[in-house]
Amino acid sequence: MATGKRPDKPAPSGRDGGPEDRFKDPALDKRRDQLADAIAAKQAERKLEAAKSDVNKSDGMAGMAYALKLSSEFIAGILVGIALGWLLDRVAGTSPWGIIIFLFLGFTAGVLNVLRSAGLIAVSKSERGSDYKPSPKDSTPPGNAWPDDKEDE
Amino acid sequence: MAGTDPIHQFHLQKWIPLELGGYDVSFTNSSAFMVATVVAAAGLLYFSTAGRSLIPGRLQSVSEIAYEFVANMLRDSAGTSGMKFFPFVFSLFMFVLVANLFGMFPYFFTITSHLIVTVALALLVMAVVVGYGFYKNGLGFLKLFVPSGVPGALVPIVVIIEVISFLSRPISLSIRLFANMLAGHITLKVFAGFVVTLSGMGALGIGGSLLPLAMTVALTGLEFLVAFLQAYVFTVLTCMYLNDAIHPGH
Amino acid sequence: MDAEAAKYIGAGIACLGMGGVGIGLGTMFGNFLAGALRNPSAADGQFSRLIFGFAVTEALGIFSLLVALLLLFVV
Repeated sequence: MATGKRPDKPAPSGRDGGPEDRFKDPALDKRRDQLADAIAAKQAERKLEAAKSDVNKSDGMAGMAYALKLSSEFIAGILVGIALGWLLDRVAGTSPWGIIIFLFLGFTAGVLNVLRSAGLIAVSKSERGSDYKPSPKDSTPPGNAWPDDKEDE
Repeated sequence: MAGTDPIHQFHLQKWIPLELGGYDVSFTNSSAFMVATVVAAAGLLYFSTAGRSLIPGRLQSVSEIAYEFVANMLRDSAGTSGMKFFPFVFSLFMFVLVANLFGMFPYFFTITSHLIVTVALALLVMAVVVGYGFYKNGLGFLKLFVPSGVPGALVPIVVIIEVISFLSRPISLSIRLFANMLAGHITLKVFAGFVVTLSGMGALGIGGSLLPLAMTVALTGLEFLVAFLQAYVFTVLTCMYLNDAIHPGH
Repeated sequence: MDAEAAKYIGAGIACLGMGGVGIGLGTMFGNFLAGALRNPSAADGQFSRLIFGFAVTEALGIFSLLVALLLLFVV
């Protein structure tokens, strides 16, 4: 896009001070800081709200997407249970017990999946850090999230 | 006319028939649209950021918003150490999003409405998660399946349930994207087919066809939302699964 | 009747049990919705009980699915 020249010709700002002063204006800095704070507060608020109202979204499309999501989680658990049980039966010859037991385990896993994606299990180990749970760790600013992560940085 | 058959849009057509070692590797319309998707996504990002202006124009804003969106999503769910997966996640997001949006053009082929495509994407994600998890944490990655604070006798059952839950992820991930796109396009086509059928039935039919026409217009808007939403959901879940690979012990 | 055919018919009949579960789940979610609309502020807190009821009801449906699967893949 041919907007490369715009920074050289700033819009007249109606404030006094030369072009260099414009960047050092303490009042402007203060206002900028205030704006940043306000935006951060608003974002945190919105995130919390989104996490809370995930369950009872009233607009139809989001509700349908949510329901589809939950049911696909549930069905996927059962399907995997059946597949594992069937494979076990074939490999170990434990027919019909493998499919019976693994179907119920798969059912349990499906319910667990549903609970997890509904955000009802607060400390689900394998989805910690998802945006469903406003745990203290998640609400730290992104810059120093995972302070206990020493392997990389 | 083939216009009212709701399934016809998903037919694969071999454009360049090829065979390799007994496998059919023909260049189909699906492959063509995958190439088009990659070209469009890469081209959009390349040309919109080529100007590198400080104050972005419209196109540059689009790519900057997409970048910020995915970067924030990844940082929020996988932490700063997850940012090394940013190229992967961003490519995945752009591919799914552009593929979904391409499907909204008339006469275009929706590649994400085929289960094999979404399963391949989901298995790619899972391969990255499992591979990186073992590479980074060694056998410590298996701690993912052993929740803390479970009584000793229940551990084997809980481990099996967690394993099933883990294995069900690629399935639910792929089925969700596939089912949403397939169902959306079939619904759209069925309602559009009503318009064609009704308007062929004289003046009364033309009046009556206004109803499904309005429905089609509304559904088209809905489908654009679904196209974006499903790309978003796919990426968000990818981020969460990557978080498991990076921090399994938490 | 052919035994193979009887197997498939049996599997189909076993799946009828899922219909009963469907009725049960519909009743349950409908009543939850009715209650939630009367007192929306209390609805969020009861969502976990809703899922509990869903799981227990659905478990019975899983039994009939199990019978159908056993008929199809095991017997």
